[in-house]
Amino acid sequence: MSTSIIKRALLCGAMLSLALAIPARANKTPVTPQQLKAYHDAFMQEVRKGDLLFHGDGAMAKQMGVTLSNTGMACAMCHPMASDTHPGSFPKFQPTVGKFSTLRDMINWCVEKPNQGEQIDPESEAMKALEAYIYWSNSGSVLDTGKY
Amino acid sequence: MSEVDRERREMAKVLCPRDEHADKSLQITRRLFIHKSLYTGAVAGAAGAGLTGWFPMMNTMTMAYASETPFTFAWISDTHLYPKTVNERFVDKVTRAAKEVQAMHPPADFLIFGGDIAQLGRANELELGNQILQEVKIKKYFIPGEHDWYFDMGAKWRSLYGAPNWTFDHKGVRFIGLDTISRAPDYWTPRRMTAEERMDHMATLDGTVAGPWAGVGNDQIAWMQKTLSDWHKDAPVVIFSHNPLYEYYPPWNFWVRDWREVNEVLRPYTKVTNIHGHVHQVLYNEIGKMRSIGMLATSWPWPYAPEGVPKLTTEMIRVDPGDPYDGVGWVRLHSNPNMSFDPQYVMWGRKEVFATSGPDASSSHAEVLRPRIADNGWFYPD
Repeated sequence: MSTSIIKRALLCGAMLSLALAIPARANKTPVTPQQLKAYHDAFMQEVRKGDLLFHGDGAMAKQMGVTLSNTGMACAMCHPMASDTHPGSFPKFQPTVGKFSTLRDMINWCVEKPNQGEQIDPESEAMKALEAYIYWSNSGSVLDTGKY
Repeated sequence: MSEVDRERREMAKVLCPRDEHADKSLQITRRLFIHKSLYTGAVAGAAGAGLTGWFPMMNTMTMAYASETPFTFAWISDTHLYPKTVNERFVDKVTRAAKEVQAMHPPADFLIFGGDIAQLGRANELELGNQILQEVKIKKYFIPGEHDWYFDMGAKWRSLYGAPNWTFDHKGVRFIGLDTISRAPDYWTPRRMTAEERMDHMATLDGTVAGPWAGVGNDQIAWMQKTLSDWHKDAPVVIFSHNPLYEYYPPWNFWVRDWREVNEVLRPYTKVTNIHGHVHQVLYNEIGKMRSIGMLATSWPWPYAPEGVPKLTTEMIRVDPGDPYDGVGWVRLHSNPNMSFDPQYVMWGRKEVFATSGPDASSSHAEVLRPRIADNGWFYPD
């Protein structure tokens, strides 16, 4: 087999992999207002779910299959408007948790300790919704990773 | 200029004219001065005291006025009780506070309970608080908080404690208890809310539905004016309220919406101190001739609001969220030999209540926060 045939085969393979990895039309045309609205709506839907979970809404917790508290405490009782959550400081060494932690680690610590609830899967929809709400509410705050 | 900035500038203009200051009897004590000088240097400390008046750096603060005989009273508030089956920690903390108040030696002349005895205004929560506070045998006075009120519109609270506002004179001081919580605009009738829903919205500090509910009301302002009409303008007045009587942070009702009218009535009196709950944090402010002091909760501490913290406040220590007894407690207030009051924060588990460094301060980050959005309607997507 000649070198040129091998090169051609490799090139075809690389192009095929690229075609499979990237959706055909992604970012090929300017984004439309309708698309922007759709992306924003998808985000805000998660923010709204997270807002309800964060404020102890029992129906939303049941719908998402989580028990975030068994004490009557909700996240927002210590963190009104998601204050004092400092999402922009993670990841960092968190003395309370005792390890280098992500925001998700910290959320689960609060769920388990002060709220005496049940830790949730870090990849779960509920965790992503909580994260969306906390980041959204803190939008505009300084990103300051690692800050105590 | 934002709406909040505009309001603040107006508050400064109305309440802090150039020639109006807090009473001269407020003195920086030797103990406070020495303590301050440890941080800032003696020269800087002296200059600071001269330029800005006084900064509370210890866990005692001096609020000055004269009284006939030295005496002590105690403050407990914001216990936010659920039934014991739901939350035992809150019950334990109120019980501890009640025992400590009863054990004071010499005993306090009376106890003020500053509101929010219950979390969701249920009869069993209010009764539980009442039962725990039976431990305190000295005279007790109660003002309501919003958590006590909006399930049955104060019916149970009134049956336990009577009128929500009152006045009495004690050893040369006129004490006034105000109701700052019962005059919320009606957000429930147009939305056809149940009593539970009405209470749930009121019980959410950062909720957007209940709106600017904190206020004194024209009728009560008139009552306060009448109550003070026979009182000497230079005699001490202490006003207890659940909410602060100035504008700190309206989105959390850290204010009363009619602060202009309230302060207009108080303006002729030279020695007015407002002692308030609701904020769950150490707080100090002077506006015109009036001083305001924020009290601790027994339930949980709140972070300082993202804006509006009075410049005269030295912030409390950053709290350990793993310790339910940190950042909370009760307050004893006693008059000392030079006839001024020293409020002393009894913050369980802490010897030093105030932050002494940036990293240990409660609000070490500048935050920009958005109000919540999901409480103005139900949102349960499939």
